[in-house]
This record gives sequence, structure tokens and C-alpha cells, in this order.
Amino acid sequence: MAVDAKAVTGTSSSLRPRREREQELLVWPDLVFIEFIAAVVFTLAFVILSTVIDAPLLNEANLDITPNPSKAAWYLVSLQELLLHMHPALGGVIAPTFALIILAVIPYADRSNDGQGIWFGTPNAVKITLFSAAFASIFTVGMILYDQGRHVNVVTNIVQHADKDWQWPGYLAPFQNVRAIQTGWTWSVPVPEAAQLGPGEHDGALHWPEDFDHIPMPFNGTSGPDWMRWGPPDFLPGWLQALYWYDLNLNLPAFIVENFIPVVVMVGLPALLIVTMRKMGWVHTVRDGSIAIFTGMMVVYFILTIIGAGFRGAGQDLVLPWDVPHID
Amino acid sequence: MSVSEQPRGPKLTAWLYQKLFHNYVWRSIFRSGYPNTPRNQMLAIATNVFLHLHPTRLHKTHVKITHTYCLGGLTFFFFLSLTVTGVMLMFYYVPSPERAFSDVAALETNIRFGMLMRNLHRWMAHGMVISVFLHMMRVFYTGSYKPPREFNWLVGVILLTLTLALSFTGYLLPWDQLSIWAVTVGMNMAGTVPLMGQQTQFILLGGFEVGDDALIRFYTLHVIGLPLLAAIFMAVHFWRIRRDGGLARPL
Repeated sequence: MAVDAKAVTGTSSSLRPRREREQELLVWPDLVFIEFIAAVVFTLAFVILSTVIDAPLLNEANLDITPNPSKAAWYLVSLQELLLHMHPALGGVIAPTFALIILAVIPYADRSNDGQGIWFGTPNAVKITLFSAAFASIFTVGMILYDQGRHVNVVTNIVQHADKDWQWPGYLAPFQNVRAIQTGWTWSVPVPEAAQLGPGEHDGALHWPEDFDHIPMPFNGTSGPDWMRWGPPDFLPGWLQALYWYDLNLNLPAFIVENFIPVVVMVGLPALLIVTMRKMGWVHTVRDGSIAIFTGMMVVYFILTIIGAGFRGAGQDLVLPWDVPHID
Repeated sequence: MSVSEQPRGPKLTAWLYQKLFHNYVWRSIFRSGYPNTPRNQMLAIATNVFLHLHPTRLHKTHVKITHTYCLGGLTFFFFLSLTVTGVMLMFYYVPSPERAFSDVAALETNIRFGMLMRNLHRWMAHGMVISVFLHMMRVFYTGSYKPPREFNWLVGVILLTLTLALSFTGYLLPWDQLSIWAVTVGMNMAGTVPLMGQQTQFILLGGFEVGDDALIRFYTLHVIGLPLLAAIFMAVHFWRIRRDGGLARPL
């Protein structure tokens, strides 16, 4: 149906049939009075609210006393929550910027003016919204619980009933949390004696993570044999020096943990959501897809806000709401 | 003009009506007659600078509450109320680290209705952030961003960012532990902007940490810079609603 209507009306059409006079109301009084009543109701409601609940005022600002936890304003705690799981630039700046850009370009991607002005205008819109909301909630909560790593304590406690000395095996470290890929995971690949990959002692193998945390990037002037080294680019103006990665080395384990995996998750899960619903035959148009993405973004924002505001205690530890310390 | 239009009734009311609403001064303010005929009702909207953002007539589905839940208008209402309460708070508030906190504390104890004004300002600010989000969700789920309203959605996203920025800059002003640390957390995020994080942070704070320079910057942005910007984008937003054919409804 949707496709037919689009073909008829075209994508840029803003024309609409002249409406009938009997379908019309006068703005005065029909709309103006509704607006007036809404304004009165909300003024009264907020005056009552403001006499009952006082705005918080803690002790005077003091940069020498850091409250634990210190939290952002509630509409930003979702970003603060992201910071716990990925690189600060990615969680605090890049991801929200992309989210805003995606939001802004929705109408430029979804160009059909089909089904406008109706709540959930496509046949599967409600199903898509509910499914996307459930998908986003389950994965967000699941990943936060995984990254918190409480399951490690639970499993260890249970297994230690049988075997007192049992510890979570090192090769399963990635199943503890994301950070353990960098800190708790150890493996090595044998390297033949002839290949000398770095300046250090050759011990016949590359070990994760310590042999991977200082990989020189291209045009790095500070590593490799002598002919590949050069001095700092003093001749460049300051801002170009800041842009040129003269001594940049890649910390691969940290990069994977802080950037690569979060990006894969943030791009991959929405893609998986769309593909799944296409396979289920629910998503037909760009509108359907954008409903899924928009719903997912809103639900993730909502859940991160709830968890960041209500479930993060001292040291940003995951605790129950009544265990969040009271700050004054 | 509409001098001849008079309500039916006893002679006294007709006389009173004539004297009250048809005198020279009244008619110099309100050009149209009493809005009891369709013509005067339309003139009441069209000749009033505040009301003329509205069309004079609209489709009957648009006054159904469930169509919009008044969310956009509610956001505007919050903006206006925040302006009023904000101006009142400005009478008593000096944006300096020496005075800011004690001014807010004095506002709560020494000034009649000071606490009420501050509470109203804070809760309505939260209300505005929430209603902006809900308004965006309403527009999205009713597909009202579709052509020809693409650009107005874009303006809306800008207004969402401005609302958050307004709320964020206001957060610092009470100068208590809650505000300074919330802003420190937020500014540390700004400090991670790739390539120019330090510079961004320095420009916003006027220094390396949240201090007196940051307070005056946040204050200026909060009371004049961002409200002006928001007002400009709101003007565009409202104008475009009219230009793009009013509220979206099925074709």
C-alpha cells in the first residue's frame, strides 16, 4: 500500500486537497481556549509541586571535596554511563554527536510523506516499536550487567563449593567483562627466530597483551631501525604539530576494549535489529527502519539514564537504588 | 467595521457594551469587534500579534488532545514561564563565587516567594527537557517530520540541543556541590572532543577548572545568549509550522 501511495504523490509533493469547510474549526475559541486551559492547569500543577517539593541545595561548591559518586545532570548521566564502558571521547562526544546527526537526518532518509499525521502510521509500526524497545532494553541491561562482571563472583562462589582453589580461567577472561580482554587475558603466538618484530628481547613468541600495547603507527618517527627514525617536526606551525601523530603508538588491547568493541556493538546491534525484523517480514520501508532505530535510541537513552541516576553508587559501582549514597 | 454588532439584551447592557468596547481608546487597541461572529473571531486571531502565530481556522482533528497532547505548546509555555521566573531570580542573584551560593541560600530564606520562584524555575526546567523529548517522540511516531516538514524537524533537533544547553548552563548557577561537580563531569566530557578537546573545554570554562570565569560564562549564556538563540530558532520553528501547512494530518 505504502509504495503505491508514494508512486502517486511523488516524494516532494506538499500539495493536499482543499479541505471542506465543515471539517474546519475556528481557532478562536476552539484552539485558543484549549491552550489557555492547558496553561492554567500546568501553572497550577507546577505551583503546587513547587510548594510541596523544594529544589535541592547542597553545601557550597568546593573543588577540594569530590562527592562520591559525582554525577552529571540527569539528562547527561546516560553519557556518563557510556564513559564507564568505552573511551571517553567515544562515549561522551562521538556517540552522542552521531546520535544527534542520525536524529536530524531521519526526514532526509525517510522521504515518503505517506502515513503522516497518524500515530504509528505503517501496518507494523506498533509491533516494530515494541520489539525494538524490548530488544534495546534487553541488550542494554545485559551488556551493563556483563561489563559489571558480577557473574564472575557468582560463578566462582558456586564452583568453589566443589573445588576450593578454583579461579576463573585466564583463557575465559573475555567472559568476565570487556576490560578483562586487556587486563586479564593471556595468550601467545609463536614467532620464528628470524622475524624480529620489535626492539625488545626475542623470546620466541608474541604475548597478549604486553607485546601488543606499543605498536608504532605509520609515519611514527620514534620507532624501528635507525633509518626509520626522525626528529620531531619543529618546523611545522603549532597547530599542525598537534595534528601530526609524530610519536603515536597504538595500544591494541586498549583500542579493542575502548573503541573497537563499543563501535561494533553500537553499529552492529541496530543493524542486527533491522535485519532480524526484515527477516521476520515486519520492516518494509525506510519509515519502518527509522521507527526501529528511533525507538532503540530513545529506549537506550532512557535505560542508561535510569541506571546512571538510580543504580550507580560510590565509585560508579552498580548498586541497588537504596544503596546509592546520599550526597550533601 | 463592526460598530453595528451588538449583543441582544436589555438596553442597559447594550449601552454598557457600547461604552466599554466601542469607545475611541478601546478601538484604538483592539481593531476588531467582540469575537462573537466568525468574522470577528478570525480577526481576533489575525490582528493580534501574539495570537497570529495561529491560523484563523484549522482542521477539526487538530484540536483532539490525543493528536498532539499539546506537547510543543507546553514546551513553549515552559520557556515563557522560565523567562518570567528567571527574570525574578536575576533580581537577587550575583554570578560571583563569593555571592552566588549565599544569594541562592538567601533567596530561600529571606525573600518572600523566593523559594517558590526557585522551585518553579527548577521544576519547570526539568519539565521543559521532558516535554521537549516527549514532543519529539510525538512528532516522530505520528510521522509528522515527513515532507514538507523535514527542515522543521531539523530546527527541532537544534532546539532540543539548545534546551539541554540551557538546562546545563543553569545547573552551575546555584554554586553548590551538586552544580559544580555535575558541570565538572560534563566539562570533562567536553575535554575529550577529538583534536580540540582542551581548547573546547578552555573556551567554555574560561580556565582549566570550574571557577569564577566559568560561572560568569555560564551565567551569560544562560540568561541571554542561549535564550536569544532559542527564541530565534523557535520563531523559525513556529513560522515553518504555518508555512508547511499547519499540523501534519493524513493526506
